[in-house]
Amino acid sequence: MDQLDEMLLELKDSSELMIDLAYSSLLYNNKEIAEEVVLMEEMLDELANNIQRQAIARVMQDRDEGKAFTAIKLAAAVEEISDAAMQIAMVTIHDDEPHPVIRLSIKDADTTITLAEIKQGSDLVGKSLGEMRLASQSGMWIVAIKRDRKYLYGPDKNAVLEAGDVVISRGPPDAEKYFHDLCSGEEHLEEP
Amino acid sequence: MYDLGREQRLDKYDLAHATVREILTEMKDISEIMVDLAYASIMFDSEEIAEEVKNLEEDMEELSKNIRIKTMLSARTHKDATKLSSLLEVAAASRRISNAAGDIVKLMECEVDKRPFLTFILREAEEKIKRLVLADSSDMVGRQIGDLGVESETGMRIIAIKRGKRWIYDPEEETKLKAGDTLIVRGTDDGYDVLRSFANGDEKWPVYPEEEEEED
Repeated sequence: MDQLDEMLLELKDSSELMIDLAYSSLLYNNKEIAEEVVLMEEMLDELANNIQRQAIARVMQDRDEGKAFTAIKLAAAVEEISDAAMQIAMVTIHDDEPHPVIRLSIKDADTTITLAEIKQGSDLVGKSLGEMRLASQSGMWIVAIKRDRKYLYGPDKNAVLEAGDVVISRGPPDAEKYFHDLCSGEEHLEEP
Repeated sequence: MYDLGREQRLDKYDLAHATVREILTEMKDISEIMVDLAYASIMFDSEEIAEEVKNLEEDMEELSKNIRIKTMLSARTHKDATKLSSLLEVAAASRRISNAAGDIVKLMECEVDKRPFLTFILREAEEKIKRLVLADSSDMVGRQIGDLGVESETGMRIIAIKRGKRWIYDPEEETKLKAGDTLIVRGTDDGYDVLRSFANGDEKWPVYPEEEEEED
C-alpha cells in the first residue's frame, strides 16, 4: 500500500469515527466529545489537502490522471462527511441543552459510543486486548485508541493499552458503566 | 427491484403525519446506510446497490423538505425557534452526509481500472464491508435480526440482504433470515469472523443467560 492509499484510508476511518462521536456528543450533551470532533476535523482538513497535493504530484510522474481524479473526488466526498460531523458537533458546543427531540431521534440506536481514559492501576494496562478477552468480558468493542495526539483505529487482539490512553469504544448502553469502571480501575476483570 | 426494507419506511402519505422526531430518526438512519451502501457499490462493482443509493438520496430530499416545514409550523416562541434551529442543523448535516454518499457512488462512473485502489482501501479499512452466505445448518436461519441481536452480539451490522434476485436494503429488526441469503455486512475483522462462524453453522448462536463460550 503506498502513501496515497494510506492517507485515504485514514481519512475514511476518521470520518466515520467523527460521525459516531458527533452524534454521541449530542446524545449525552457532552462538550468534551464534541471538542474531540473539532480537533479531528482540523487534522482531516490537512490530510485531505495532502491527499490532493500527492495525487497531483503523481499525475506529473505517471500521467495517469484517471486515478488521481478518483482519489481527489473520494477525498472531497469523505471530507464532506467530516464537515457534516463538525456541523453536528457545533450544535453540542453552542447549545446549553440540545432539543429533546434530537436526543430521542438518536437514541433509537441499540449501540452507544463512549470515551474513557485508562488510569494507572486499571486492569487494562499492559495486557493485550485478546489476552483480556475485553470485548466478550465487557461487551464493549474498542474502535480507536488515542495515544498522545495520534489515533490508532481498529486495534487488533495484540494491541496493548497504556495508562493515559483514551479509548473510544462501542457497545450496548448497559455495558458502558462497567467499562468505564474498568478503565478507571474501580472495577476489575473477572479471572479467566 | 423488490425492496422489503424500504416498504416499511415512511411513504409520502405517512410523511404528512410523521412527527419531527420520526423524520429526524429516519434521516439519520438513511444517511448512515447510504454511506455503507455507497462503499459497498464500489467494492462489489454493483450498479444495483448504486441505484439504491440514488433512490435514497431522493427520499432524503423529501424528508429534508418535510422536516423544515414541520419545524417551522411548530415554533411558537423565540426560545422554541432557537432550539428548533439546532434541530434543523442536525437534519442538514444528515442530508450533507447523504449528498457525500451520492458523490461516492458517482465514482462508479470512473473506469474500473482507475479505481482498483479504491476497493483495496475499502478492504483495508477498519470497518470493512464484506459478504457472507447463510448456510442451511446455521441456527440464524428462520430467526429475526432484532431477535438475534446481531449487532450487539457480533458488532456487525447487516446493511443489505440479497435473497435470490431480490435485494433488501437496510433490513428491519423484524426481517427474518433465510438459508441461502447473502448478507452484506459492515464491521471489524474480529466481528466478521464471529458472525461467519454462526452463519456457516460452525457455531451455535449463544443463548443467554448461560455461561459465556470461550473466544477463539
